[in-house]
Amino acid sequence: MKKNRFLAAGVSVAVTSALVFAGIAPSHAAPKKLKDIRIAAVVKGLDNPFFIGIKEGIEETALKYGVTANVQAAPGLNDDIGQANKLDSLAGQNYDCYIVIPISSNNLSQGIGKITKKGKAVINIDSPVDAASLKAAGGKITSFAGTDNKAAGKAGGASMLKLIGSGKKIGLIAGLAGNVTSNARIDGFKAGAAGSTFVGPVNADWDTTKALDAANAMLVANPDLAGFFAANDQMAQGIARAVAAAKKNIPVYGVDGIADALKEVKAGTITASISQYPYVMGQMGVEACIIAAQGGKVPAQTITPYYVIDKSNIDKALTNKSTRGYFPNQTPPGAYKNPYTKLIKKK
Amino acid sequence: MSNGVTGTTASAKAEAVGTQRIKNIKEKIKDPFFWSDWLVVIAFIAVVAFFGVLAPESFLTTYNLNNILVAASIPAIIAVGQTFTVATAGIDLSVSSTMTFGAVVFGLGFTNGWPIWQCAVFSTLAGVLVGFINGFIIAKRKINDFIVTLGMLSVAAGAALVLSDGKPRQIISGPLATLAIGEVAHVPYLMFIALAIVLVAHFVLFNTRFGTHVLATGGDPDAARAMGISIVKIKIAVYSISGALAGFAAMLTIARIGAAEPAANTSILLNSVAAVVLGGVSLFGGRGTILGPFIATLLLQSLTNGLTVIGVAAYYQYLSIGLVVILSAALVRTDK
Repeated sequence: MKKNRFLAAGVSVAVTSALVFAGIAPSHAAPKKLKDIRIAAVVKGLDNPFFIGIKEGIEETALKYGVTANVQAAPGLNDDIGQANKLDSLAGQNYDCYIVIPISSNNLSQGIGKITKKGKAVINIDSPVDAASLKAAGGKITSFAGTDNKAAGKAGGASMLKLIGSGKKIGLIAGLAGNVTSNARIDGFKAGAAGSTFVGPVNADWDTTKALDAANAMLVANPDLAGFFAANDQMAQGIARAVAAAKKNIPVYGVDGIADALKEVKAGTITASISQYPYVMGQMGVEACIIAAQGGKVPAQTITPYYVIDKSNIDKALTNKSTRGYFPNQTPPGAYKNPYTKLIKKK
Repeated sequence: MSNGVTGTTASAKAEAVGTQRIKNIKEKIKDPFFWSDWLVVIAFIAVVAFFGVLAPESFLTTYNLNNILVAASIPAIIAVGQTFTVATAGIDLSVSSTMTFGAVVFGLGFTNGWPIWQCAVFSTLAGVLVGFINGFIIAKRKINDFIVTLGMLSVAAGAALVLSDGKPRQIISGPLATLAIGEVAHVPYLMFIALAIVLVAHFVLFNTRFGTHVLATGGDPDAARAMGISIVKIKIAVYSISGALAGFAAMLTIARIGAAEPAANTSILLNSVAAVVLGGVSLFGGRGTILGPFIATLLLQSLTNGLTVIGVAAYYQYLSIGLVVILSAALVRTDK
């Protein structure tokens, strides 16, 4: 028995590259065949198109590689315990790897702890699991793939600066007060558009109507505003209405790349949206899982792509659909870095 | 009387007893109350058998059954509180945000360095406060339970957000973690707590004067009043019980997810109402059971767990759970 294992390990060493060898745990015999790999995913509520995008990314990538994927979602909005129950239910099954998106940064930590104790890998995508609670529960995240909101904001700032030039006044509209994502996007934008003067940020709670009111007030107080940045697309839609009503022609930027906002980019009412790619997050999650299940070394952290979608690439974005094609703009209109794909052994 | 006649009478008697028995069984089957008492048990056994046959190696493992018990503990406690309000022909729609409010109070205490037991006492008291206000307004101002607690759902959620400034508070504590994952003979600690509460509640509802008054208030408030029962006191008491259990359950939630979250989890509300109805408690009051909603909670959690274990896609899960709730409710219809 023992001898066989050594023999098998020896064979696998012989056939795999040095890179992969580094990641093989001593107990692994030969790497798992793709068709034997089973992945379980627990995502957030499917009442949000963003998470449907992630679900599709997971399911279609699994199909592409021929691995099995079981995607489960939190039973309801904010149902942090329900989501933890789902992960617990799956933790005892014979899955090789788990993909998680926690509703709050803590609620899945105990479940992840159970999985880690069983020696299985956990890939965290989109929203990070809190490190302290993970440590307390004895859990370990093999790899994280998510957006860098600050960098996305910065890309938007740089793009607007190119459009309006330095030293102009830009209005900033933020999401909920104190929200980490909103703050990161606004800070990033400021850094990207350094040299401009900023009005705000005013908090419009991610809401279209509130953003419309806020933008109206800002335009009255500052008739010389040369542009607007909103921390999400819904608010950018509100700003676009205020700008149109004031008969101004100044650029409006949003973040997320939601379908409605892209239509407005096409129509020209919104200038640009810094898009995120939930589909790609799902794809990277599955690929990271496959690498882990094959015993390979998984990159610890990956920034998922973001793209400034404006007039120049909107047509491509609108036709860029997944195989099932529910939403436009599921994959970026250009090249992006995916460190996982090349590490997968295809057989 | 001749022997022959006695003989025929005896056989006729036996026949009569026989038909009577069959009639009794038939009547029992026709009696909606028989079904409302036993349907939930039958359904629970059916669900366990269904998944047991379909996925014996993953569903019927001690690990997985343990998961179901963990998942059912907190909803079971909330369902007990809900049973008391429904037994008086009321309903507590504010339970989910009462729980959130309790959790936030717990979190505030914890951040201030209070010991765990003190945090738990205060979160329970926070729940009692919310429940007391509910009951007081409902009984004193004679406003519909539905409206008052629906309003409170929002008020308590808002209070939780204000108190916490909308930020979750991480609570990492050794004893709480043990509480959440510990077990004796494969039965989780959380389930022992839930069982203790269920048994105490069963005793209170059926073996004390207070319990009788609760059922009387729900069954016929005018008669109850005529008998000298204070409807106001009973209403305040049942809503305070519901609030207290929600506030207490907040601690168990914190133990499970390691944080006091300021966002309300409305699934817990839907679960409690579904469990109470499936358990055979009449929504018109006066008829209650504690064990019914408890079994119903186990049923609902087994269903969610089973569907997840056999890999039913998320979309179909919403559908099937909703259908089971409506179907069973239709079968156990217990209107007067």
